[in-house]
Amino acid sequence: MEMELFLIRYLHVISGIMWIGLLWYFNFVQIPSMPKIPDEQKPAIGKVIAPEALFWFRWGAFFTVFFGLALAWRSGYLVEALMLEQPNIGFGMWLGLIMAFNVWFVIWPNQKIALGIVEADADAKPAAARKAMLFSRTNTMLSIPMLASMISVQNPIM
Amino acid sequence: MGKILESLPLTIVAGIVLTVIMIIATEAIYDSQMSAPERAVSDMMNNM
Repeated sequence: MEMELFLIRYLHVISGIMWIGLLWYFNFVQIPSMPKIPDEQKPAIGKVIAPEALFWFRWGAFFTVFFGLALAWRSGYLVEALMLEQPNIGFGMWLGLIMAFNVWFVIWPNQKIALGIVEADADAKPAAARKAMLFSRTNTMLSIPMLASMISVQNPIM
Repeated sequence: MGKILESLPLTIVAGIVLTVIMIIATEAIYDSQMSAPERAVSDMMNNM
């Protein structure tokens, strides 16, 4: 049981670093740098780096939630946390679930349009790129309390 | 909200504000879950 919980927690943390690391890469590095990149070099980001980063980003989100829920279930606090009877971890779980929903059902569908991975009108691309950016920023904002909640389980501040 | 999210520094400030709100809400939920004897012990510990 101890080894099982260790492995699930380890995979949860590794997936989480993949997910939040790429989220912060997009928001702290890629988005602010795009206006400074010459137009002829932009396809290197749009056609090569962004699609690859988005692959690891969305699957990082999926497996963070998957192993996080598995950890809570195997540790016996899944329902109590989701009902906010254990609010320190419960708030973090809900924020993580909202963020993962945003990744899979808002950011990724809109990025597919913005990057030309799926067919769309030329007018739809800027709107999709803006929507993806705003939801990515929303996730950056939510990641700050989410991480505080996650570490408060080991180091209680609340 | 869109104006805040367009700015990375304001997004970070909003995240910190949300963290403070979450900590206050967590304290409030724990307080509401305490029984009377637990609350008495908690108050005594806080006053030590």
